[in-house]
Amino acid sequence: MEAPPLHDPARDLWIVPIRHHSPACAAHLERLLAAVAPRAILIEGPCDFEPLIEQICDPRTRAPVAIVALRDVEKAGGTRRVVSYFPFCNHSPELIALQSASASGIPARFIDLPSTDPAMLSGDDDSGSRSLVGDETPFDVGDYVTALARELGCRDGNEVWDQLFEARIAETDWAGFFADVGQYCACIRGAVSADTMTRDGTLAREAQMRALIARHRAAIEGPIVVLVGGFHASALIEPGQDKVIEPKPGAGRSYLVRYGMRQLDALAGYGAGLALPGFYERLWQARETGGKALALELITGFAAHLRGKKLASPSMPVVLNAVEQAERLAALRERPFPARDDIIDAVRSSFIKDEIPPGDVPLLAELRAWLTGSAIGDVPPSAGSPPLVEAVRDRARALGFTIADGERRTRELDIYRKPRHREASRLCHAMALIGSDFAQRTAGPDFRNDAGLDRLHEIWSVCWSPHVETRLIELSEVADTLGDALAAVLAEKLAGLSALGRGRSAMAAIDLYAAACRAGLGATADAVLDAVERHVLDDPELASLIAALTDLVLLRRSREALDIADTATLDRIMAASWRRVLTLLPELAYCGEDQLRPAIAALADLRGLIELARSSDAPLDLGLFDEALARLGEAELDPMLAGAVMAFALTGGQIAPEALEQRLRGELASGYVEPADRLAFLGGVVAIARELLWTTPVIITALNDVVAGASEEAFLALLPHLRLALMPLDPRETDRLAAEVADLIGADPNRLAVLVELPEGDLAANLALDRELHAILERDGLA
Amino acid sequence: MTEQTEAIRRPAEQRYAAELALLAADDAKNPRPAGWKLSPRAVRKFLLGDAKLGIARKFYGDDPLADRAIVSLMSQQGLMLVGEPGTAKSLLSELLAAAISGTSALVVQGSAGTTEDHIRYGWNYALLLAEGPSERALVPSPVLNAMSSGRIVRFEEITRCPPEVQDALISILSEKALALPELGPDAVSMAAPGFNVIATANLRDRGVHEISSALKRRFNFETVHPISDPDFERELVLKQLAERLEPAGISVRGEREVADLLVRTFQDLRTGRTAEGVNLNRPDAVMSTAEAVNVLHAAALEAVYLDDGRLSGMHVARQIQGVVLKDSPEDGKRLRAYVDHIVKDRAGRSGVWKEFYQAARSLKLG
Repeated sequence: MEAPPLHDPARDLWIVPIRHHSPACAAHLERLLAAVAPRAILIEGPCDFEPLIEQICDPRTRAPVAIVALRDVEKAGGTRRVVSYFPFCNHSPELIALQSASASGIPARFIDLPSTDPAMLSGDDDSGSRSLVGDETPFDVGDYVTALARELGCRDGNEVWDQLFEARIAETDWAGFFADVGQYCACIRGAVSADTMTRDGTLAREAQMRALIARHRAAIEGPIVVLVGGFHASALIEPGQDKVIEPKPGAGRSYLVRYGMRQLDALAGYGAGLALPGFYERLWQARETGGKALALELITGFAAHLRGKKLASPSMPVVLNAVEQAERLAALRERPFPARDDIIDAVRSSFIKDEIPPGDVPLLAELRAWLTGSAIGDVPPSAGSPPLVEAVRDRARALGFTIADGERRTRELDIYRKPRHREASRLCHAMALIGSDFAQRTAGPDFRNDAGLDRLHEIWSVCWSPHVETRLIELSEVADTLGDALAAVLAEKLAGLSALGRGRSAMAAIDLYAAACRAGLGATADAVLDAVERHVLDDPELASLIAALTDLVLLRRSREALDIADTATLDRIMAASWRRVLTLLPELAYCGEDQLRPAIAALADLRGLIELARSSDAPLDLGLFDEALARLGEAELDPMLAGAVMAFALTGGQIAPEALEQRLRGELASGYVEPADRLAFLGGVVAIARELLWTTPVIITALNDVVAGASEEAFLALLPHLRLALMPLDPRETDRLAAEVADLIGADPNRLAVLVELPEGDLAANLALDRELHAILERDGLA
Repeated sequence: MTEQTEAIRRPAEQRYAAELALLAADDAKNPRPAGWKLSPRAVRKFLLGDAKLGIARKFYGDDPLADRAIVSLMSQQGLMLVGEPGTAKSLLSELLAAAISGTSALVVQGSAGTTEDHIRYGWNYALLLAEGPSERALVPSPVLNAMSSGRIVRFEEITRCPPEVQDALISILSEKALALPELGPDAVSMAAPGFNVIATANLRDRGVHEISSALKRRFNFETVHPISDPDFERELVLKQLAERLEPAGISVRGEREVADLLVRTFQDLRTGRTAEGVNLNRPDAVMSTAEAVNVLHAAALEAVYLDDGRLSGMHVARQIQGVVLKDSPEDGKRLRAYVDHIVKDRAGRSGVWKEFYQAARSLKLG
């Protein structure tokens, strides 16, 4: 494969083949620009970005930054928003070229098709293009690169590139370097069919580049440097008869935005640039000295990072061994200094003294994160922002939030009386839901958990940090408005729910629904309810089903505060869950002995749910409940469960108090071996409806008869179980019970509250003992 | 030395003597660490193959690992190869020792019965009683041998030894010297350049011991994983099958399809997930590539000697239970579930899977 010449003397054109974000290309470009001293620089990049060149070269701009381009695309079924990025980092040859042109006062121009051109979109699937920097996947896949990797003993295209080119960053022979890049790229191009290049828009873009080169060549005297992806170089060396396609005014919008190393790394997965940009940033800084000290700097730096994060940090000998390992790996692989993979390999074999499971280990993930870097760039204040950022900023400003600085502030919102405050609350909730870290609620009513409902105010801690904007920029790919962003986040979270277990996922889905309602999503939140329905409806546990249904009734009760306009979906799910509860109810009869207490607790919750449904006018068909309860009552039940069911039936008026009395007397006087069993029925009654003690006096009468008729010994055996059965009573109720019993047997109620006289000496001695005991407990750390 | 009689399996330095000689001849100019028979680059070629010199590839699946292992052996650290059984750890250690030291015979086999004498030295008791402690009466361990001659010693299955025995290595690895107090107060055997230790360990099996962290610190760890690319694993299994069948002068038919079935079954059971994304219960048994070769080999022998010489899914089904049922009876149920759901589905689409399904159905899998 013939390499294209770097210089075309006939037109005095230097066509410089590069790889995007390659520090070696950037370093050699610096040398080339100094030697050639061009009169203009032309760069592969959408020509409609030219107005942004001034901002990019602004001294206040600090990489990484990116041009984000938004355009609407007509697709079957409506318009689709496509967002793409054209990122720059410190070691991007494009940025070096732009800054150099600006410094020497020569024109710099972008010569690719406008970002709105269909050819820039081809090859897109529906996920939308992520990068406008020329596609570099051929550097990583394809027969040529795979074969070369095998030949050189490299694991992938990235390592091949590092070995062949990044290793030469400190050399002075820029002409030889670019000749080799050109040769390499020409070989890669040779493995791609013309058909593919037509389909993915490559040929159309190259025609535009040729046309714009011709136009600028005609207008400018002296040498011109053309900076293009190495893939295109061979197509540009021959002048053509192509026509320039001018950008359509108003067809798309583009902004210069702050960008992060992390996002830059994420783009590498889309065929743009080299992964782990933090590593290449350091290589770029070492461009003059070569990478000799790079392994030492990076490995000790990473060890220090681990120490700083309080992670298990390696000892000095281990660090030294890793550095030595990296140097030797580089020597074995015939590289002048350790490349990216040598350093990762060295850390892998030296730092981890254990088996590494397939997939990953935390330490290597940490290394990758550290080599990715976390820096965020800066743009001059004159730069605009994507619509989502603008929209949220405008709304936050309009609602009285300060967003000019990163200070943390407290904001109190009167959500019931002031509509503006309610709006502000929605914004805070929405920002929390999209995970933007803008606002944390420190106090307020919780409609979800039925807590703090008497509070009239919400208190928020808010802070407009750079991370807030980063998150918004991230979401600006999928949304222009906060509503769209919320919908996207909601869909994503919903998809994540299925990973949880069934019971937990129902709860999580209800949480999510509540959060969506608070964020003011309204009808869109109904999608979450489908997930609730799915999880709730095949829940085999009565207890969790009742809990979920209670939550739904609570949410429905607060529908005005939560801004739920249409409760149709909610009502449908509640009705379905209710039917499910009633189906499961009779099955309680077959629960095992160990499940008895949970079953009683579920029944108590169920009673709470019914009361709540009555008081809040929830659309549950309570009539059906009696039938289900009757079916449960017909089964042969454990005494405790029977007590609970009968108490339930009595409160619903299904049975007469006499029936309960008769059964209670039978149970109390029964011939059970264990005294505990004689009182289990009473325990069941009290657990469900202790008010029956007052409303149905026959219970106390029956109880009194049994106690009165018992011998001293039998009474003592009964006593602990009696206490257990009456445990749900609070102290006031206990007093009331005592008074009723006293009344019944004609005793003087005043004698119940006997004050036992205690001599002063005894009291003092007891207090001293108490203090001593406390001191001992304190000393033993048990207090 | 007596003439080499025919052996079932000869050590790597004999099997690959011709290749090692070729590499040594080609290696004259390359720098070599002290005590090494070949340069690191030549060792790499020996492991990973070199088409120009006609060197065959011997270690598959993870080239960077081979590089890291070679480089670790140049350092002060020992090399610890860990991973599931059957992932060619011992083969790798044998090849490395053969290429670097010219011999893979210095081996300590770890077991519950390994004592410190196997790591340090023992005595020829007749001589010891007759002459008292002397160099003549001392029986050096493979480790001491490797130290004095500057070669690589292999410690197989180190986690099978009790930790206190393993720890005898600590001072050897950090001091690179071993005191011989019986021979006099200053008697020390110093390690000659080129000495190092390759240990292999299985950290997950039942009945293995821990390695102390003091010892761990003296090793660089490399995890050898099973091969994850099914096509590649199939080729490897077929190649090794041919290597086993050829010397016996037998050949089978239909082995490609059957190997494909076998590798897919092994990969599904090993990862607990089929290629179609269906989750299943992983058997406890080791489903390594080496086991796959064993199964295919046994199936091939059955096909040749007891059948018409055509390898079929049926033969594999009969042999596979021997692999899966080694460990726990639960595994039988897991294989049964795999057969009932996954294999049944595939049986409708392909002949070899159908044979496999029918034969597997009649197995007693519990």
